[in-house]
Amino acid sequence: MEEKAASLEITVISAEELRIDNRPIKKNAFVAVGTGEEKWRSTSVDRDGGSYPSWNEKLEVELPPHARSIAVQVQCKTAVGIKTVGSAEVPLSDITEGYVPARHLHFLSYRLRERDGRRNGIINLCVRMVGPTHPLRSNRWMGSSSSASSSVCKGSGVVIGVPVAWRGESKSMQF
Amino acid sequence: MGGCFSDTKGGQQAVGGAHRSTPFDRPSDQGHNDAVDHFMRSRGLHALFTQIELSFSASKLRDLDVLSKSDPMAVVFAKKRDGTLEELGRTEVIMNTLNPVWISKITIAFQFEIIQPLVFQVYDVDTKYHNIPVKMLKLNEQDFLGEATCALSEIVTKHSKSLTLNLRERNEHRGMKNLGTFTVNAEETMASRTVVELVFRCSDLDNKDLFSKSDPFLRISRPVESGGSVPICKTEVVNNNLSPTWKPLLLTMQQFGSKDTPLTIECYDFNNNGRHSLIGKLQKSLAELQKLHEEKAGTNFYSSAPVQIDQKLLKGQLFVDRFCEKVQYSFLDYISSGFELNFMVAIDFTASNGNPRLPDSLHYIDPSGRLNAYQQAIVEVGEVIQFYDSDRHFPAWGFGGRPIDGPVSHCFNLNGSAHDSEVEGIQGIMSAYASALYNVSLAGPTLFGHVINKAAQIASCSLSDNQTKYFVLLIITDGVITDLQETKDAIVKASDLPLSILVVGVGGADFKEMEALDADNGQRLESLTGRIATRDIVQFVPMREVQSGQISIVHSLLEELPGQFLAYMRSRDIKPPLVNDPQTSGSSHFEAS
Repeated sequence: MEEKAASLEITVISAEELRIDNRPIKKNAFVAVGTGEEKWRSTSVDRDGGSYPSWNEKLEVELPPHARSIAVQVQCKTAVGIKTVGSAEVPLSDITEGYVPARHLHFLSYRLRERDGRRNGIINLCVRMVGPTHPLRSNRWMGSSSSASSSVCKGSGVVIGVPVAWRGESKSMQF
Repeated sequence: MGGCFSDTKGGQQAVGGAHRSTPFDRPSDQGHNDAVDHFMRSRGLHALFTQIELSFSASKLRDLDVLSKSDPMAVVFAKKRDGTLEELGRTEVIMNTLNPVWISKITIAFQFEIIQPLVFQVYDVDTKYHNIPVKMLKLNEQDFLGEATCALSEIVTKHSKSLTLNLRERNEHRGMKNLGTFTVNAEETMASRTVVELVFRCSDLDNKDLFSKSDPFLRISRPVESGGSVPICKTEVVNNNLSPTWKPLLLTMQQFGSKDTPLTIECYDFNNNGRHSLIGKLQKSLAELQKLHEEKAGTNFYSSAPVQIDQKLLKGQLFVDRFCEKVQYSFLDYISSGFELNFMVAIDFTASNGNPRLPDSLHYIDPSGRLNAYQQAIVEVGEVIQFYDSDRHFPAWGFGGRPIDGPVSHCFNLNGSAHDSEVEGIQGIMSAYASALYNVSLAGPTLFGHVINKAAQIASCSLSDNQTKYFVLLIITDGVITDLQETKDAIVKASDLPLSILVVGVGGADFKEMEALDADNGQRLESLTGRIATRDIVQFVPMREVQSGQISIVHSLLEELPGQFLAYMRSRDIKPPLVNDPQTSGSSHFEAS
């Protein structure tokens, strides 16, 4: 855990069907992302998209070593101040899990929830890990796979343990 | 961007513009059949029916003429399913040569999802027929020089897009007599892969409505050779706004011709009755629009056509907020530069299929050789996909069955091996399937999650190698799945991977829930944790629907695949290497200007 913190490059692409009090929002939506420990990063305000805003803005979020998820909040500037439309938690496992190389470009979408848990619209993100690998990634397989083996799948300088039973299935892969 | 004339009700939507239903501009989430084809065309994808131009040459033909050499003509046929030949076209007759290079080309629609066997025949046309148009020639009066056969996909998957075949005698394989060779060269007729993305904005438009402001939209037309003009696209309607900004428009080079083609841009006030009133019009080529964009300048609308004398300059102005040239590669660009589709199969071994030894079972293997529904699906889909899979090693699994001395498994290797699920070729799948029916007892329940996760593992591990592989999992099932939510979760995760899933439903069960997996209705799949599929990767087809209708199962199953493949590659900006496109480089000076 003494590694330097990794960070995530999050491109906030767009959102869909945003509502406040069950009415589609007109304009001025923006997105803030953070891990809770760091300062929040946010996009600019969308003026033209109405309840389907798009930003295509890249934000970089540093990952504290113990981070398990990233919070994404969609907010809206209104005449009476900033209102939260809805939020979503992006579990880091969605980015680190599986056999994909660490720097794989992930396209991820999440359902937004209001404070009281009601469903709101959808947020579309594109996420890529940058910097050193998050420690979560190297720990993961020890717990989750009963037959974690020493066989290894190398990609982009990352090492992942692969369960034994799986390995035979894709002998076309070169490790 | 067709449908430009559909200005009736509901015509407020953009045609060909950026659609909202998909987050990353994915074409595949739209409806299917014609809709998809149309939509893809409008986006310049041309994935389903790429027009291919075939050109031909031959060498070392037999010499049948006594005093001179042969006068060859090539005829191209499509071989239908029942074996009959349908003529697609003929070349001209070239006089007195044994190594002809024909000038006439034959255009044929390449359909990804159909095997298109072609037969090429070469005839020596007797001198006495030379004054007759080739179309009128009776082939049985000509001397046969040889024939060759191949599937269209064999040609287009070659990097050179060229295939040389040995000419044979008609309908016989005996004696490999040397009749010379026949070379087919394929070329996409697509003029260019260039597309231009434009964002238009207007200011100070005239107000045409009495009680509110105008509801403007733009329509763009291009002149045609025969005179007059054809509309190529229109934007969506922006309600009640005299300074509207429209969503991005994509124009392909087929649509706009060249960058110097004068395009007519008309601004209309939308009217529910379809009689939209013209606010203003102007004529600009793309090159001029690009200049406007660079100078951030506006251009005024005219009250009538700019060529007429009584034109009046209006206050309303048009601005180009974005002008962006892109190169869009086609499915074939990827395939011919080494990208491949890797095929995987999973077969339902649940008890609801019925005892495989009884003729009423869905798994019954008819000694007469008639294929059961499972075999039919494997053969039909596999035959198409295998052309795009270079090693033809296919992982094959079963689910919902109990392999010999084991518990019920929801993902076991069809070939009975403990470690290696791969079998060789379609025949390998067929024999592994047949032997599994003896070694595996049918059980249940019907779970897809395991199989999908296994396929996703293989797909994700390929990413660390290279990004030239795309995986296609075929699941054949007779029943409704019991793990709908787990399956959804698995699909949502897999939507981030180079994977598509084809599901074929066999038997008479109610497949309503399966339709929910196929996001064709516009509903995106949602996992339990609130993660949402970023694209539609599932295509579901019930076998009975296919059998009752005319379309082949493969057609309806595979038609969305090129679009899903392209959506994945393009969203990640993965480009095919080694694509040479003279058209694109030719237009590069515009970027410099």
